[in-house]
Amino acid sequence: MSIMTAAEIRREMERFLPQVSKPNRYLGTEWNSIHKDWQQTAVHMAFAFPDVYEVGMSHLGTRILYHLVNSFPEFLCERTFAPWVDMEEKMRDRGIPLYALESFEPLKKFDVIGFTLQYEMSFSNILNMLDLAGIPVRSADRQAQDPWIIAGGPCVYNPEPLAPFIDFFLIGESEEQLPQVLGLIKEQKEKPRERREFLQRVAQVQGVYVPELYDISYKPDGRIEKIVPAPGAPVVVEKAIVTDLDQAFFPSNPIVPYMEIVHDRIMLEVMRGCSRGCRFCQAGMIYRPVRERSPQTLMQQAEELVRSTGYEEMSLTSLSTGDYSCVQPVIQEIVAKYGPQGVGVSLPSLRLDSFDVKLAEEVQKVRKSGLTFAPEAGTQRLRDVINKGVTEENLLETSEAAFKAGWSSIKLYFMIGLPTEVQADLDGIADLAKKVADLGTKNGRRNVKVTVSTSSFVPKSHTPFQWEPQEGMRSLEEKQQYLRSKLKDRRIKYNYHDVQTSFLEAVFAKGDRRLAEVLEWAFRHGCRFDGWSDQFRYDTWLQAFHELGIDPHFYAHRAMDYDDVLPWDHLDSGVSKRFLIEEHHRALRGTRTLDCRHTDCTGCGICPGRGVQVDLKG
Amino acid sequence: MRVRIAYSKLEESRYIAHLDLARVFERAMRRAEIPMAYSEGFNPHPKISFGSALAVGVEGEKEYVDVELQQEMDIGEVLGRLQEQLPKGIRLLEGRVLADGSKALMAVLNSASYRVRLAMALPITRVRLQEALDSWLEREHVTYSRYSKKGPTEKDIRPLVKSLTGEIKGEEVIFDLEVEVGSQGGVRPEEVVGSLRELESLPLDMESIHIKRTGIYVSYQGQNLSPFEHDQIQRGRSKQEAR
Ligand code: SF4
Repeated sequence: MSIMTAAEIRREMERFLPQVSKPNRYLGTEWNSIHKDWQQTAVHMAFAFPDVYEVGMSHLGTRILYHLVNSFPEFLCERTFAPWVDMEEKMRDRGIPLYALESFEPLKKFDVIGFTLQYEMSFSNILNMLDLAGIPVRSADRQAQDPWIIAGGPCVYNPEPLAPFIDFFLIGESEEQLPQVLGLIKEQKEKPRERREFLQRVAQVQGVYVPELYDISYKPDGRIEKIVPAPGAPVVVEKAIVTDLDQAFFPSNPIVPYMEIVHDRIMLEVMRGCSRGCRFCQAGMIYRPVRERSPQTLMQQAEELVRSTGYEEMSLTSLSTGDYSCVQPVIQEIVAKYGPQGVGVSLPSLRLDSFDVKLAEEVQKVRKSGLTFAPEAGTQRLRDVINKGVTEENLLETSEAAFKAGWSSIKLYFMIGLPTEVQADLDGIADLAKKVADLGTKNGRRNVKVTVSTSSFVPKSHTPFQWEPQEGMRSLEEKQQYLRSKLKDRRIKYNYHDVQTSFLEAVFAKGDRRLAEVLEWAFRHGCRFDGWSDQFRYDTWLQAFHELGIDPHFYAHRAMDYDDVLPWDHLDSGVSKRFLIEEHHRALRGTRTLDCRHTDCTGCGICPGRGVQVDLKG
Repeated sequence: MRVRIAYSKLEESRYIAHLDLARVFERAMRRAEIPMAYSEGFNPHPKISFGSALAVGVEGEKEYVDVELQQEMDIGEVLGRLQEQLPKGIRLLEGRVLADGSKALMAVLNSASYRVRLAMALPITRVRLQEALDSWLEREHVTYSRYSKKGPTEKDIRPLVKSLTGEIKGEEVIFDLEVEVGSQGGVRPEEVVGSLRELESLPLDMESIHIKRTGIYVSYQGQNLSPFEHDQIQRGRSKQEAR
């Protein structure tokens, strides 16, 4: 089948676009979108986000890299997203291949397609998007004229279930690494070498992981025997890292969509990394060390961003913005300067122990929204186990201050199924919620609303809990029911995630290459948008495991040994395995580890010898 | 200062949904550095208000928006600066300063004209088309089922259609219709054409439908006035009354 041209795709689409939901997802004409000339550019890249437009466009990393690549005259970068099911049906009916939004050129015509891996439950969408683009899903089936399929994002710290589908992964921060890779692709286009030779070359770039250069063998009991790199390939692939965040590229003219997206606002990145050291949190390990942007840089960016976007809201983003050392002065300056122009400030993630009600009031001067706290566990004992440096006193004091300041609704996030959890920890969740609600009532709030959300703990690679199993589904469900009965109070609302999704997430988070077969089978039998509860087909997934004779419990429910070869042992976040083991021990002893920002180095291993250090501006 | 602006919303911009359009204008105004007036309260909103909503995918030849500004500005400058910041397909056509107490667009607009183009599923002759139109217009009631989350509801659309004509151009049929716009919910052009297909058995390819609102008016003493003209008349009247 010959592929359609951009003009043909556009013409066909025009016919049915008014009939699909949210047609603006598929147009690419947004304010500040970049439409470069194909003839004038040497390398054509498409960024592919394996979820719908409004989710993908809310992701800051993708936005940064889109503008970064386009800032090079010789590179062109366009975008594509997973079409929603109604659109996919129409495209498949009419034989329209997946295309990139800016030019409508089919994906197959690009030199490189870069997927962003934000969550495991988007993996099936990757295969579906490749298939919709008419590109063979397996690297081994692709020809020289097919695009390079690459991927980055947090899930590449264990990308093994995707190994046969992706030519190479970009681990770490891509600001410097990606342009290097594109430079090599440019050379390859001009002077083609054998596939293997090119892959060997690209594997020399910091953080580039080429899965086919590693041979994995297994023991009879299913565990990994060893991981053997091909000659010349790095034994361990270590993440790429930006040493000076203050000087790093940041787009001053981001795209402003013509439809509402999830995070529809200016995103000002105030810092990267978090060293609070919560032991379940992958982000808190893989983005180390903490590096801040200076208030001067941020104010200059804020000015450019307000002018170029016209947005009514600016969010200070990072893993934990309350910890940014200059947060107070920066917020005050922004409120003073842009408040009169109708621009408000918001903070996406607040941690109650770093959170100051005064700060919240500052933020709310222009706009009012609910407050969210994440104690994560119901008792001090368990909070010490997970190294969540929050006390009940902190939470109650802050809640009281918030009620006094006029808030009436508070959201509390917890996890269930954490290592060492016992009945008392569940009771602790219910007690805390009640205490918070009572404080509201005591302080004269009439519509007190406390929303308790629990998610099920999913062990993630490169964390102190990576060896831990996930708790069984039945007992997680019992815990949810228990909490539901304990939280019967008209002021309290209880939400929880379905355990099947969390289970599959754990399987893939801890999975190895053998899962690729399962993934492909599930996709061929209709699985996609697994993160969307109305699309998730758990039964199909179970059937996939069954058909291929692979036991998902082996991955999700098995405790691993320290001397097991982990599927991601050849991938390095810079935080050492020794540190993770120590942290695991300390967790089981209930001993806390303090934040290296405020105390001495705790020896996680990322800083020495890499030219990076904790970089605070306050 | 309150200004009323007429604009067209064509090509790709026809996919911008009505609710999103307010944000598109708000952000364009901010980029153009035209200071908008805001509502009071916890959640200040810029004072921007539109006339009747245009459905997603429907083009508009002349639509209207009212905006309140913080300060006096030259209307030509407002239009010029704003135009540069608007999406492709939205063109500003005309703008005027409103007098204090001018009625909101929503309150006065009550009539709209549409042009609908679509392909024939089978050949249709001019005579056949005219017969269908005549027969449709003679009906006293035309019930049309709408499907919503609450289930189907029936609606008599006939009284809302003031005129309906059609002609054949090449492979396409082109309809011109004029309908009432009201607070009780109007009639959608695709419903009129859909009922022509069903009740009069006109073989139309509904998938190929292309709809354009050619105008939206204040029907006043038997005349279709633009909201500018209507405002002028209102202003004249209130002056007279003052004397
Ligand atoms: S190496 Fe030390 S200072 Fe650097 S992030 Fe790790 S614990 Fe903190």
